[in-house]
Amino acid sequence: MKKWGVVVLVAILAVCWVGNASAADAKKKLRIGTEGAYPPFNLVDKSGQVQGFDIDIAKALCKEMGMEYEFKVQDWDGLIPGLLAKKFDVIIASMSITDERKQKVDFSNKYYQTPARFVAKKGTGITVSKEGLKGKKVGVQRATIHENFVRDMFGDAVTIKAYATQDEANMDLVSGRVDLVIADATVLLGGFINTDAGKRFEFVGPSYVDKKWFGDGVGIAVRKGDNDLRQKLNKAIDAIRANGVYQKINAKYFDFDIYGK
Amino acid sequence: MFDIKGYGWLLWKGVQLTVLVGVFSMAIAILLGFVGAWGKLSGSRIARTAAGAYTTIIRGVPELVMILLVYYGVPTLIQDIFDVNIDFNPFAAGIATIGFIYGAFSTEVFRGSYLAVSKGQIEAAKASGMNRILLFRRILLPQMWRFALPGLGNVWMVLIKATALVSVIQLPELMRNADIASRSTRLPFTCYFAASLIYLLLTVVSMSIQQRAEAWANRGIRRA
Repeated sequence: MKKWGVVVLVAILAVCWVGNASAADAKKKLRIGTEGAYPPFNLVDKSGQVQGFDIDIAKALCKEMGMEYEFKVQDWDGLIPGLLAKKFDVIIASMSITDERKQKVDFSNKYYQTPARFVAKKGTGITVSKEGLKGKKVGVQRATIHENFVRDMFGDAVTIKAYATQDEANMDLVSGRVDLVIADATVLLGGFINTDAGKRFEFVGPSYVDKKWFGDGVGIAVRKGDNDLRQKLNKAIDAIRANGVYQKINAKYFDFDIYGK
Repeated sequence: MFDIKGYGWLLWKGVQLTVLVGVFSMAIAILLGFVGAWGKLSGSRIARTAAGAYTTIIRGVPELVMILLVYYGVPTLIQDIFDVNIDFNPFAAGIATIGFIYGAFSTEVFRGSYLAVSKGQIEAAKASGMNRILLFRRILLPQMWRFALPGLGNVWMVLIKATALVSVIQLPELMRNADIASRSTRLPFTCYFAASLIYLLLTVVSMSIQQRAEAWANRGIRRA
């Protein structure tokens, strides 16, 4: 009986390991997997509809490609397995392009890359440069790409205070213990500037998207080898960037450019 | 009851799905439990081996792994080998998997309840000429219920919470909807607290039903 059990177990586990589904059928309807729980990029509204930046971009891309669309709202953990099992054809869910994910799926070119930005109290007139930041205290979340960035770029000019969470850094900005904080601009906008606590604060300085610290941005995942679809998506991304549709969607959610360079 | 910035209905829809998945899974689990217990206690070597393998493997593999395997792993494998498109219905896949898993636990419950029926009664029934079906219906089943119900109630309560796992296969049950609501409203405490209260409520209701069922199964038994 034990041997039997082992054989079956190995068989079951073997199923687990098999990953890559082959080329997709060229159906007209694009089935889009998304999470629906990452506002403002994708969320489920009160009437049960998916909304958000990702969703608007997805619709615009489908219109550009002349395809129908259907959203499959799905827990984050099931997104890549669902794509591989052909439950849907693409993932448009603010998924960052990483080397680890690239082993399982292919990515389109990025469709956005949220920049890192500094936030300071309104009207302080801080210029963001090595000179302008000299002697300032900067709050940042510990062990993040943003901490690496600020250490590498401004480490010799500023005093860095690292916090366990971004909220703690923000609270110390409010109480004046630090002069600036730096983090993902969308996180700062939704989680701080647009809240009561952050009313008296604003973005200062440029948007940072340098690949060295901030990676490749956010792309659309497709099954490995699904090159036709991937190229169509890339073309469509270029097209909506060129014809102004992208900028309109961008402006609906953010008052700064989130595509980056 | 709860509004939660207009997302209360989302939780309510989640509850409905949770209960539906729970009830169907439990029905499958009870059915499989009977079959499994029969296998484990049967004289046939093959049936014993099969039932033994079933309970060992199922109870040894985490539920989440099992659900992911059934819904994603199996179709991916078949699609890779045969180049066809198969699509399991998530609801069917969900209740089948959860029912299959908790069937293994129910197997042990029923096995225990069979063993609790005294041998003398079975021998007496045989001696008075009852065939196997009559023996099962008149002697075994009524008493097995009595011994099985506390254990089954336990299985049910674990099962109803395990339904939260089916959210990974596109089934928006209570936990998943609480997650969506919490992130969309930015009120995690409120949403999860509401969800936990609902789970608690389900448990309380289940307990009272279980008590009645036990009272029914124990009719004719004098309390010691």
